[in-house]
Amino acid sequence: MRTLKLLTGLFVLVWALAGQAPVAGAGALLQDLENQLMCKCDDKCGKVLINCTCATSDKTRAKFSKMLDSGLTVAQIVKMQVDEYGETILSAPSKFGFNLTAWMTPFVALIAGGFGVRKVLQSWVGKRDGIDSAEAPAAESEISKKYSKRLKDELDGIEL
Amino acid sequence: MNDIGEFTLLVALATALYGCVAYIMSARGNRIDLYLSADKTPFIVWACVMISSICLWKAFLTDDFSLQYVWAYSNRELDTFYKVASFWGGQKGSLLFWTLLLTTYMLVVYFQNRNKNLRVVPYAMAVMLVIVVFFLFLVNFSTNPFERIPLPPEDGRGLNPLLQNYWMVIHPPTLYLGYVGFTVPFAFAVAALISKDLDDGWIRMTRKWTLISWFFLCMGNLFGASWAYVELGWGGYWAWDPVENAAFMPLLIATAFLHSVMIQEKKDMMKVWNMSLILLTFAMTIFGTFITRSGLIQSVHTFDEATLGYYFLAFLFVIIAACTALIIARLPLLKSANELDSFLSRESSFLFNNLVLLGIAFATFWGTIFPIISEAVRGVKITVGPPFYNQVNVPIGLALLALIGIGPVIAWRRATFSNLKKNFLKPVLAGIVAAAAMFPVIPLGNRAEIYTYVTFILCVFVLTSILTEFYKGTVSRMGLKDESAVGALATMTWRNKRRYGGYIVHIGVVLIFAGIAGSQAYGTHTEKHLQLGDSFEIRGYTIKYEKLIAVEATSIKTRIIAQLAVERDGKRYWTGHPEKEFYKGQNQPVSEVDVLSTWKEDLYMILADFGEDESATIKVYVNPMVSWMWTGGWVIAFGTMISMWPDRLEQRRRLDRVRRQEQLFPTPAQE
Repeated sequence: MRTLKLLTGLFVLVWALAGQAPVAGAGALLQDLENQLMCKCDDKCGKVLINCTCATSDKTRAKFSKMLDSGLTVAQIVKMQVDEYGETILSAPSKFGFNLTAWMTPFVALIAGGFGVRKVLQSWVGKRDGIDSAEAPAAESEISKKYSKRLKDELDGIEL
Repeated sequence: MNDIGEFTLLVALATALYGCVAYIMSARGNRIDLYLSADKTPFIVWACVMISSICLWKAFLTDDFSLQYVWAYSNRELDTFYKVASFWGGQKGSLLFWTLLLTTYMLVVYFQNRNKNLRVVPYAMAVMLVIVVFFLFLVNFSTNPFERIPLPPEDGRGLNPLLQNYWMVIHPPTLYLGYVGFTVPFAFAVAALISKDLDDGWIRMTRKWTLISWFFLCMGNLFGASWAYVELGWGGYWAWDPVENAAFMPLLIATAFLHSVMIQEKKDMMKVWNMSLILLTFAMTIFGTFITRSGLIQSVHTFDEATLGYYFLAFLFVIIAACTALIIARLPLLKSANELDSFLSRESSFLFNNLVLLGIAFATFWGTIFPIISEAVRGVKITVGPPFYNQVNVPIGLALLALIGIGPVIAWRRATFSNLKKNFLKPVLAGIVAAAAMFPVIPLGNRAEIYTYVTFILCVFVLTSILTEFYKGTVSRMGLKDESAVGALATMTWRNKRRYGGYIVHIGVVLIFAGIAGSQAYGTHTEKHLQLGDSFEIRGYTIKYEKLIAVEATSIKTRIIAQLAVERDGKRYWTGHPEKEFYKGQNQPVSEVDVLSTWKEDLYMILADFGEDESATIKVYVNPMVSWMWTGGWVIAFGTMISMWPDRLEQRRRLDRVRRQEQLFPTPAQE
């Protein structure tokens, strides 16, 4: 059961982190490309190409459109851009080497936090249980049990 | 006037320094004379900063270009509306504006609390004054807005055209009101730590401040998104820019604080956690300011003269170090019973809500600083843009959405199986029905569409769980009091403002989630180069290019407007007027989009380019459900207003509690 949970968690994580499969079609390919690269205008606008409206971005789009028409793939164009400008041209870190830490750390932190919260809750609930058992009378009568159950059921119905 | 402005800033700094020392000495030495003297300083500091601000505003309104700041951010042709807003258009003025808001808040706190809790309030005032001193030091010695130009030019450089939008008057002040507002709970938290008065008094005293600051920060973020949507002309509203992230992170942490603080109020638990959260929230507001003003991280929002980073970084380190040391020193006093009846309870769901909120905040923080880490470790500067945040934050955000639905229906203390079955049955059923109903009609071709599908299901689940709460309460009240449905609903909400106001805020959040999901997955856009009379179709709209109009708006601004007729089912439906504005002396024209916004979708038009032959390149986006987000914002505003409304019953309950304390303990309780 534990292994199954772990595998399910891993599957969800990989699915969430996996790159978006590009949709076929020239427009979609250009859109995918624009989404992967930053604008390199002189103003250093710091925007992803798809979000940029400056004159440089328009020229870049036209250039990429021609490159796609010439038969180059998105991956090839991205590689050419990285070779020319360095990794800073990519809109997100690559998913290998040191950059993988960018992707993994938030989830690792979240999972570790989840375990932490679980541990804290367990200790808090355990403390309560300890107090309950210490305070409980040695033998609870049948009548007391009956009323406890009734009280519990009624409390369930009340929203504080 | 400028001399007065400059002089009053110096007086404010000296007074704030004195007030800070006097408050601390009076509290430590029980010196009532010093306290009475220090007690005048908040008003004097505020008055000085206000006079200084009026002087700067006057310089803007009278085109006094002898001030370098006025010259840099205004000109004679600028509308009065924007001259007023130019005050916070640049670094120097924005810091003075921050100081003005901070001293105004401090003054209100002073009037609210001067006769209350004399153990905590002097320290709180001292902490606020320390922060005021920091900002006054900057505006006096590093970024003085009253710096002169020896030979004043005839005209100014003017305000950045992108900032000449009505949101410039609304968005920055709203965001600053949020940022600055967290100083108040922070100051009271630190004061409680110093004075060792560590019950929930500081929380009760600052609950409304926290809520107000949270509200402004939330609205500030939404207004910023709205501004980006109508001004930047790329069809989107959120770009995960470092400065947007900087405003988003304190909002998330403050939201976690608002929830976990309820556990402290109800069960006197999680004192260290709540203390840490409010300190972290404040630290994040300073971190955000550091990002905007350091120039260390590339951002579209960074100020031109971003040179103040190291001051803010040093201030941030001092705050974090001092607060951590204080918390560690007070750990024995912050210990609480920390007992829970059951793992399955609303308390637990709040803890997980905190975890998820902090998870998103951490992921955002990590993405924001990762370029610096990468450069330090590998020597390679990389960019962390929207694809990263969307892939990391969306799944965590969905978990948060689910928790919003679980929270209201899970019982406090202990949830039993029968209780869970009873409370979850309707919301879960509604989610399943929604999933089945949407499955045949919603495209599920890629991950974004699958995420959107899941989001919609969760939205239905959450809405049902919240509405069920309203329904149950109303029906029960109708049975007990013989009231009409509307009357029972209104009375129930009014008598439990905090609870039902919170639920309304959650409805607003659900609308925002739905709006984001719909607009991200199902939008479409096209770009066409058109001659006069040409037309094209997009999602059932026929768009016809009718004419190109040139307007000399002012001597420095020319507007080029494209007139586009929008037809639906063969009938004229709307006329769009996207335009480009050209400002003298500016390299890039500014796009002014035109948007037809409906509940279903936005038709968003941009004039991308035009030729001398009156041809035009038109970009059109169809963005579904964007208006849901803005509606969600107003719903949040309504819910927050209800939550914050003064509650006589709560005041009465508090008075009763104080009376009981007085009977139990010989010393009178300070309230």
